[in-house]
Amino acid sequence: MVAFIGSILWTIILSLTRSRRVPDYEIDWTEWSRQYERLFSDDGWTIALWNLVTLGIGSGLAIVFGFVLAAMIDREKRGESLFRTVFLYPLAVSLIVTGVAWRWILNPDMGLEATLQRMGFEGVSFNWLAQGDTAMYAIILASVWQSSGFYMALMIAGLKSINGEIWSAARLDGVSLWRLYVEIIIPMMKFTFLTCAILLSLGVIKAFDIVLAMTNGGPGQSTWVPAYFVINALSQKQNLGYASAAAVMMLVITAAVFLPLVLLTAWQARRRNAA
Amino acid sequence: MTDIASAATVGATIDSRPIVRRRRKRITGRSLAVLAFLTICALFFCVPLYVVLTTSLKTMDEIRQGNIFALPQDWTLEAWRFAWFEACSGINCNGLRVGFWNSVLILVPSLLLSIALSVVTGYALALWEVRWAGTFLFLLFLCAFVPFQIIMYPLIAMTRSIGVYGTIWGVAVVHAVLAMPVLTLIFRNYYKDIPQEIMSAAVMDSGSFWRIFGEIILPMSGNILIVVLILQLTSIWNDYLIGVTFGGFNTQPMTVNLANMVTVSTGTASYNVDMAAALLTAIPPLLIYFFVGKFFVAGITAGAIKG
Repeated sequence: MVAFIGSILWTIILSLTRSRRVPDYEIDWTEWSRQYERLFSDDGWTIALWNLVTLGIGSGLAIVFGFVLAAMIDREKRGESLFRTVFLYPLAVSLIVTGVAWRWILNPDMGLEATLQRMGFEGVSFNWLAQGDTAMYAIILASVWQSSGFYMALMIAGLKSINGEIWSAARLDGVSLWRLYVEIIIPMMKFTFLTCAILLSLGVIKAFDIVLAMTNGGPGQSTWVPAYFVINALSQKQNLGYASAAAVMMLVITAAVFLPLVLLTAWQARRRNAA
Repeated sequence: MTDIASAATVGATIDSRPIVRRRRKRITGRSLAVLAFLTICALFFCVPLYVVLTTSLKTMDEIRQGNIFALPQDWTLEAWRFAWFEACSGINCNGLRVGFWNSVLILVPSLLLSIALSVVTGYALALWEVRWAGTFLFLLFLCAFVPFQIIMYPLIAMTRSIGVYGTIWGVAVVHAVLAMPVLTLIFRNYYKDIPQEIMSAAVMDSGSFWRIFGEIILPMSGNILIVVLILQLTSIWNDYLIGVTFGGFNTQPMTVNLANMVTVSTGTASYNVDMAAALLTAIPPLLIYFFVGKFFVAGITAGAIKG
């Protein structure tokens, strides 16, 4: 049995170390960093990094939205299961399908824009996908649509675990609902929020399917994200070293985002245990 | 002391009653607003499904009129038939059914492999004293967060060297490897709560590793198996990247066919066919969701809690 686990462990470690070492296949040790230098002078990579930030901030809305929905559903017990079902169903749908559906809705000639203009709203412009500077918003919209339900489910679980006495205590003290949420409930749910943030950042870093289905990176390079960049470098440019350098950078980003969050979570968990 | 305290709480509850009642009455206005808001949000969530569904039932002429929210004037399943039998993915014009069966073929071995692998590992880690178990768990935990792109090339090299690259088995193996960290953690957390006494008794009864597993542990894990099965089912079905990277030319899953159909459109795009194809791809996981949604939610939350 030890051997069995050992072999899995060995495979995983091998897969990790080998992949990190891929740039080392470049025997030229004097210029070991040239892939990285090239990477950072590449416009596509810069765009990809900025898009990652945009996507991260934009998708953060999904957490906020998820929390609002969860709080409302939790307060208002009526129709809870119905609303839960409706808000969660996009999650069962493939990101490719999500992307295809939204791409159609945002279609300028026959989609939402045309329909609204026919209805008399001449000024509306939903031609987000065709313009480089707004295409990212379209992707954010679709991914928020897809993932809000998930954060809502996590938040509901978090809200349910809050002691019911707090509600009645707050009611006794005459605390307004708004202050109750901002000052008591949200700090109490730090742990849930952190979990959501970790999952969100992972999802954002891995985002690939939805970009491919909605814009295929375009128009131009305007919606490239690092994950897309790596695949593109590997399959289109056939440049393994370059793709690996970008992939390693992805790992660095993951670690940079992920480690502080995990440490914070662990710290919170310990404090909660101590309390 | 305790009497006073309890009297105080009783007093408090009595006092609070009228306040609560007054609040209840006032809340109805607010709760109407909340319900209205929730309904609007629900509409926002449903609109894409509605649009996709109606579009898929329209003819192309009707779509060109550009009224995306209207119901079809004459309902037709032509787009569905076309998507299933004739739509082109690349140069292959046999419709989505090819991808559908590929997806099914990928699904079966992937499910078996990934679940078998991680249920045994999870069981061993939770209930047997394995050396380095803690370190191993920590590594698994870290692996759950590694972006796929980083291990993609080594995986390609490895699957190529054992000769499964570009086949259904290649896709299955990769799915199994990638799902292992999360699934193992789920199983391990589940088995961890089995009382040590059961294990000691089983070991005394001369139970071997596999006999205890087959006769005691597996019958106990029906629930978690269903949850994980559904989690894996939807995630494998919805996967795109692994399918496109490791699937061969003729073994690409449905999602890849769909993406090819939509992004690499030759000639005029027929949106009704695209939407029908999207729905065909989305139907299996949606069916699972609507029929066994409880397990689905349990699955995604379990998969999330690992983090």
